[in-house]
Amino acid sequence: MKKTVFLSTSLVFFVGLLMVCPLAYAQNAIKVGIVDTYTGPATTFTMDVLDGFKLAVNEINAKGGVLGKKIEYATRDEKFKPDIGLAMAKELVLKEKVDILMGTINSATALAISDFAKKEKLPFFVTFSKSEKIIGEKGHQYVFNMNENTAMVGKAAAVALAKKPYAKYWIAGDDYEYGHAIADSLWNHLKKMKPQIQKVGESWWKVGEADFTPYITQILAAKPDFIIVATGGAGMVNFQKAAKATGLSQKIPFYQHTAIELSVLKPQEQNAPEGVFGTANYFFYYPDTPSNRAFVDEYKKAYNREPRIGALSGYMTARFIAEGYKKAGKIDKEALIKALEGMSLDSPVGPMAIRGCDHQLELPMYFGVTKKDPKYNFFVAGDIQVIQAKDYMPTCDEVIKSRK
Amino acid sequence: MDAVYSIIPAGVLSQMFVGLSRTTILFIVASGLTLILGVLRIPNVAHGSLYMIGAFTAFTVTKLFGGGSAGFWMALIIAPLAVALISLIAERGMFQFLYEREHLMLLLLTFAFSLVFGDLVKLVWGGEYKSVPVPHIFQGFVPLFGGLPFPRYNLFLLIAGPVVAILLWLLTNKTKMGKIARAAAVDREMVGAVGINVSRVFASVFVIGCYLAGLGGVLVAPTVSVTLGMDHNLIIEAFLIVIMGGLGNIWGALLGALIFGLTQSLGILIWPKFGIIFPYLAVVVVLLFRPTGLLKSTW
Repeated sequence: MKKTVFLSTSLVFFVGLLMVCPLAYAQNAIKVGIVDTYTGPATTFTMDVLDGFKLAVNEINAKGGVLGKKIEYATRDEKFKPDIGLAMAKELVLKEKVDILMGTINSATALAISDFAKKEKLPFFVTFSKSEKIIGEKGHQYVFNMNENTAMVGKAAAVALAKKPYAKYWIAGDDYEYGHAIADSLWNHLKKMKPQIQKVGESWWKVGEADFTPYITQILAAKPDFIIVATGGAGMVNFQKAAKATGLSQKIPFYQHTAIELSVLKPQEQNAPEGVFGTANYFFYYPDTPSNRAFVDEYKKAYNREPRIGALSGYMTARFIAEGYKKAGKIDKEALIKALEGMSLDSPVGPMAIRGCDHQLELPMYFGVTKKDPKYNFFVAGDIQVIQAKDYMPTCDEVIKSRK
Repeated sequence: MDAVYSIIPAGVLSQMFVGLSRTTILFIVASGLTLILGVLRIPNVAHGSLYMIGAFTAFTVTKLFGGGSAGFWMALIIAPLAVALISLIAERGMFQFLYEREHLMLLLLTFAFSLVFGDLVKLVWGGEYKSVPVPHIFQGFVPLFGGLPFPRYNLFLLIAGPVVAILLWLLTNKTKMGKIARAAAVDREMVGAVGINVSRVFASVFVIGCYLAGLGGVLVAPTVSVTLGMDHNLIIEAFLIVIMGGLGNIWGALLGALIFGLTQSLGILIWPKFGIIFPYLAVVVVLLFRPTGLLKSTW
């Protein structure tokens, strides 16, 4: 009995596996293996990356591909677990023989795959993880970071906040690496730019905290001038709702990375708090240029929703891969890496380059504040201030020094 | 009020009441969990998923009725019933055949259910964050306790908690079904032997327990973003509360929820940087001195 159960389950398992994996690639194709989280809360962001990537790949293939080859891709769900993610990256490289790896939203997985890519000498494009270790401490010549990281976010916010008159700061956030990394980077840079500021207190809550009211009432009683809120994921909306309910947003201004972003503001519709400061790397409505409008139209036509930051990241990754190979003139990993270093491409939000020294994508950061807009049934970013890549990226020296 | 403030500062009082409103939701969810645990002996890991489904259903119902206050009140009626219906199907279709199995089996089964429910929610509602607006009359805050702002919605929660507690007390102590359920929890075979349809009683208790999970989900929805993963965070807290209070004891769940909610909010006041640890510290202390929970366990 037990044997038959075991046999039948393993059979079902293997049949399932066969259905999931595309059996054969077309010959003569450039193969990209994507490992990312496609189950659970992270899908809010990862589907954008994949859809943006698909959009660019379809465009490229429709124009005849790259050096006569089509770009093909396979996706794997890492379920937000580093061990699964690494196993899947290995499977993609060893069995599917992919040329390039790409992903993931989970920083721990990204670092594990990055280490593997280094050993295999395979280019790895990080599309949504925000860890500064990817190109910093654990950086190497095979890894590329195609979005902002915590060090950059902190510095960008510090650049903008240094111009504000606030003196007494409270720091609060998710008690894990992302929260602490953003808060530390922001605070250290701000303190350097404005030595007279002081920190009056800190609160740290567990990741996924549902009710921020007790934290907010406590901060209100401490009366700081400004609050740095280092939350991520669903905590963004949770905090904003609690800030509105307690009247915090009318009393003490606060900053959250991505507070002004669509994923946070759209679900709240007309009920988001007004006047929250935030940073983000992409809006579908800003800059209002022909190239951004064209990108938004294409994306909306294909997926029936507005693109967000992940979409831009996925889209540009595919474009850089294609243009990199074209510039290299051959399908060769080392030649691709050489070609990509310092390469600049037009993107929906203007030219973007990959920095040669550390493989970080140079993308503009927008600082703004939540506000109503009669054009939309949700809040948007107002008073947008563009912070150029050169002003908020750590210098090459700083990054290379952190690698030792 | 000044006399009160001289004993307890306004800040502490305000923080206590914020903690109490959190207690409400924890109690409602945990009481459902403990009810099922006490009578049916099922450690229902899928309880958190039902809470999540309650919140998502509240979102849909609110949208259907125009997205305003009316929508929320309809959601408060419909969503827990929808969750109850799902649980009825699960109980009649699956659990009723498995009551004789060992706890580990049931634990695995409910865990499987939580995974299935999680994926179903993703299929039905997608991965985007959802938000249920606070009904109009509860929007904003009132200056309470020395002018400190207190969200109106939390006042509503402070009323909802005791109402649910009283209804549960009436149900378990004053109705025939409640008495049978309590008897069945002690000795199932004996109850069956005197000619009572135990299976039906069990189904009712299971459905009521799950209804409470759904109710908790609706009540929490206006204060948070409704999202995948909200089940995981809650189920851990709910189990800790149930264990702290004594397995299967509804008043234990109330006590556990009170301890959990109050240590959290007051802990934040004392030491905001490490406020996170106080409720868990309380669990450790309770279990050190009362390993079977504070009140009498039905196990």
